[in-house]
Amino acid sequence: MNFLAQTSSTATTSGVTFPTLVLTAMVWSAVIFALVALLMPNQTQDQLRRMKSLGSTGAGAALFFAIWAVETQVSEAAAGTGGIPGGDLLEEHNWLSSFPITSSYHLDVDGMALSVILVVSVVFFCAALAAWRNQRHVKLLTVCLLTLETASLGILASYDWVLFLLFWTLAIAPVYVLARAFGHGHRARVATRYAATSLVSAGLLLLAAVLIAFQSGAHSFDMSTTPVSLPGDGEAVAFWLITAASLLAMAVVPLHGALLDLEEDSTGVLSAIFAAVLPSLGAYTLVHVAVGFFPGTSGSFSLFFAVLAVVTVVWGGLAALRTDDLRRLIGHVGTVFMGLVLLGVAGHTTIAITGIMFLLLARGLVIGVLMLLASLIQERTRRVHISQLGGLAWQAPFLSAFWLLATLAAAGVPLLAVFAGDFFILTGSFPAHRWASTVVLAGTLLASGVLVWTSQRIFLGASRDTFERVRDLGPLELTYLGILVGLIVLIGVVPGHFAEVFQNGAGYILFPGAA
Amino acid sequence: MPAPNGMAVFATMLPTTLLVVLAALGGLLGWRRPGLPPSFHRWLGALALVGAASAALVALRGVALSTNGVGLAAYAGGVVADRFSIYAVLLLCGTGLLAILTSGAAEERLGSRLPAYHALILTATAGGTILAVQVEMGMLVVGLGMVVISLVGIVAMEKTAEAPGVAAFRSLVSAGIALALMLYGLAIVYGATGSTDLAAVRGQFLHSAPLEGLGLALTLLGLAYLVGAPPLHHWMLQVASASSAAVAGTVVSLAVAAGGIALVRVTVSGFSATMVLAGVLGAAACLYPALLSVVAGSVRRLIGLGACLQGGLVISALVGSGRGSDLKPAGGVIAVLFGLVVFVLAIQASFQAVARMEEDGIGGDLAGLRGLARRSPMAAVLLSLGLAGLAGLPPLAGFLVRILVASSAVDGGYAWVAVAGVAASAIYAVVVLRWIGAAYVEDEELPVVLPRTPRLASVVGLACALFGVVAMLLAGPLLYAADGAASVLR
Repeated sequence: MNFLAQTSSTATTSGVTFPTLVLTAMVWSAVIFALVALLMPNQTQDQLRRMKSLGSTGAGAALFFAIWAVETQVSEAAAGTGGIPGGDLLEEHNWLSSFPITSSYHLDVDGMALSVILVVSVVFFCAALAAWRNQRHVKLLTVCLLTLETASLGILASYDWVLFLLFWTLAIAPVYVLARAFGHGHRARVATRYAATSLVSAGLLLLAAVLIAFQSGAHSFDMSTTPVSLPGDGEAVAFWLITAASLLAMAVVPLHGALLDLEEDSTGVLSAIFAAVLPSLGAYTLVHVAVGFFPGTSGSFSLFFAVLAVVTVVWGGLAALRTDDLRRLIGHVGTVFMGLVLLGVAGHTTIAITGIMFLLLARGLVIGVLMLLASLIQERTRRVHISQLGGLAWQAPFLSAFWLLATLAAAGVPLLAVFAGDFFILTGSFPAHRWASTVVLAGTLLASGVLVWTSQRIFLGASRDTFERVRDLGPLELTYLGILVGLIVLIGVVPGHFAEVFQNGAGYILFPGAA
Repeated sequence: MPAPNGMAVFATMLPTTLLVVLAALGGLLGWRRPGLPPSFHRWLGALALVGAASAALVALRGVALSTNGVGLAAYAGGVVADRFSIYAVLLLCGTGLLAILTSGAAEERLGSRLPAYHALILTATAGGTILAVQVEMGMLVVGLGMVVISLVGIVAMEKTAEAPGVAAFRSLVSAGIALALMLYGLAIVYGATGSTDLAAVRGQFLHSAPLEGLGLALTLLGLAYLVGAPPLHHWMLQVASASSAAVAGTVVSLAVAAGGIALVRVTVSGFSATMVLAGVLGAAACLYPALLSVVAGSVRRLIGLGACLQGGLVISALVGSGRGSDLKPAGGVIAVLFGLVVFVLAIQASFQAVARMEEDGIGGDLAGLRGLARRSPMAAVLLSLGLAGLAGLPPLAGFLVRILVASSAVDGGYAWVAVAGVAASAIYAVVVLRWIGAAYVEDEELPVVLPRTPRLASVVGLACALFGVVAMLLAGPLLYAADGAASVLR
């Protein structure tokens, strides 16, 4: 056990017990900074700068505690407890005991949550840095970003349905306000459509939670007891309610319209967050809750997930080939990744679920980088369409290099982050779904090919006069993109750092009794 | 039933007596001494309400000492002082107190009628306290009549303006229909069972005949008028749209509180056979205003529809007031009692935001709301917290109420009612987000205005709005109190 693990555990000194608060600090630190920002003036340039500093510090604080939590679990992996809930990070306090269904303030993490927690906190921190250039609605942006971060991390750390639903629904309002304030095109319609979709998914999850609480006989909203056994059709109904809610959030075909429009019509920082974080939360819910609660039921419907994976990947790949909008193209690539997640669920093996964890971690970073770069390209060239771009490598070599690296990562090149996820998912799913795995692989290659082709169209070719004054990346941009790309390389080179945690987490999801 | 005694009469009727006496005193002073400052009447009203609440707390001591474990009964068992009635009296007094403290916003419009306005708030609260303590049909009619007449009177206080006058008249007509429905219903029930005692009625409804079912349905419809359930919801929308914001907040919040209390007492104590009917009515009362809110043209109407939706949730929760799974009591009553506190405060906060906007000269339609956060930050905060509370958006306690209501309905075997409630809340939440979004993100070049709303009303409105967050954090103790109150009805 290393230093971090020791400090996070419940410590007893002279008979006084100090509770573990790492997860509480991770979840709530961002929103505390948001509350401070809410009360601060934002009239002068100095005040605006202070507001932005506050945003970055809040996101940084959340990142600090997220890394603390991840490293604590990694250090416990050798003992076989890392990646499994109930460890040193567990926080549980009674909350609602005077109602027929009890609820508690229960925070914990497993391997699945850790992979998404890491990517969420990193992407939000980089987004907060990227938002320094913004001069419009600074307070609104800061407050909403930090609130959204708390909601996202809260979803991932909640082990009680009431808390989980609270955070799930809490995420809707900031996304709506941000999309409406900073979007373009049909921003009001797009924001409303996404909010409606999210509220539907929240409603489905609420019904599932109530059903599980009563039919399981536990009369509790606690989420730590898995697998859940319900009488009659209750198990199937609850499973499909959670699955439908997750698929809506993941934006898989044919439910992808709302999120893709949101990503396309938002400005750079926001589209990076929307594309990198929001679908990951849906994927987490699908794997951690739907599969984790009902491993047997999910296994019996694996064909459904395999078919849906094929449809999503093929559709995503073809749509990416057809679109001329840079951000929408990246959105389609993100959809293809979600198809891979579905294939992993269909595979229903420990190795496939481990692959999903690697993929979600890598996907968030890669899509985040691509979206941020796309917005920088659009900001500098004032062009939205790929066909209007070309020869940018001459003016912006660093930008081109970062894009190319992210593209190669997205294509699943070894020694970059996505490779491990792709490899494990395909390996884990192939025995059960050979045809589906083959088609998904082909679809993934198609999407990768489109990305490489797009890189060629944007950056290569003769230098254009219209883009003569295009700037390359500045120090600020190099900083936040460097963090993201550095992590992509680091995870690709040393995936073993997380392998045990993820593997334990996958084992816990599929075989909770054994864990 | 325990024999009536002095302690029981004191415990059950003291809050009501205090309120009626001080209402009469306030009205008399307003008539005989018109020169007294408005603040005198405000503080007299506040004193009456605090006194009534204190009396209820004194009764709590008596209830704790009672040997039957339920409470104290008086007047041949027609009224009781139990934990439920004490909780309800405290809720009603709190609602009345908010109405009194925010009356400054309507001072200009009410003019010399302000003392009468305060007196009517006290009599409406007194009527509510009768609804809280009654377990007999006669007292039910008395209490409901007192509440309804007082509320119509409050709306009519603004008779000098045309729209409130029309609203008062329409409220009167709706109230007449509601009272008639309830009287017919109770007459049928009495004819079928031969008793006016709710507990006795309950025992005889195990095999209800169609005629008895009609009686129950009419009674329930009459009671549902107060919480703005369809088909008698128009009066609430009319009041929300036409009256001044302070008056609308007073009338709507008092109606929801008193209506919720009456519904709990009547359905749980006596008419438990009406659960299917309550389910249908609750589902309709949730979905109908939610669908109407999609085309709402003003923020006042949106708030009015939100209040109707809260009424629908109250009725929906009641279907989960009987035995739940594992033969344990379902949590419907707890959900209602917790929810009523949250609903009342959200309604008040929303109407205080409207009052603030009106004082600042800001229009109440969607176009007028654009850029509200920049033009009138306090109004924007109040409005967004109030509307979010009505919509059940987290981190406000309305969200928790939705979970409790859905849980109770499912536990009671009415999953479809839970689905309707969740769907209605989602629809209303989307609409609310649209309005809040307009307030915060739309650029508006109009100049920033200086607030002129009376300080006390604003502070009270802000406190109401922030309570939504506090109630979420303190949900444990609040639910404990609600559970204690609900336990006597099981």
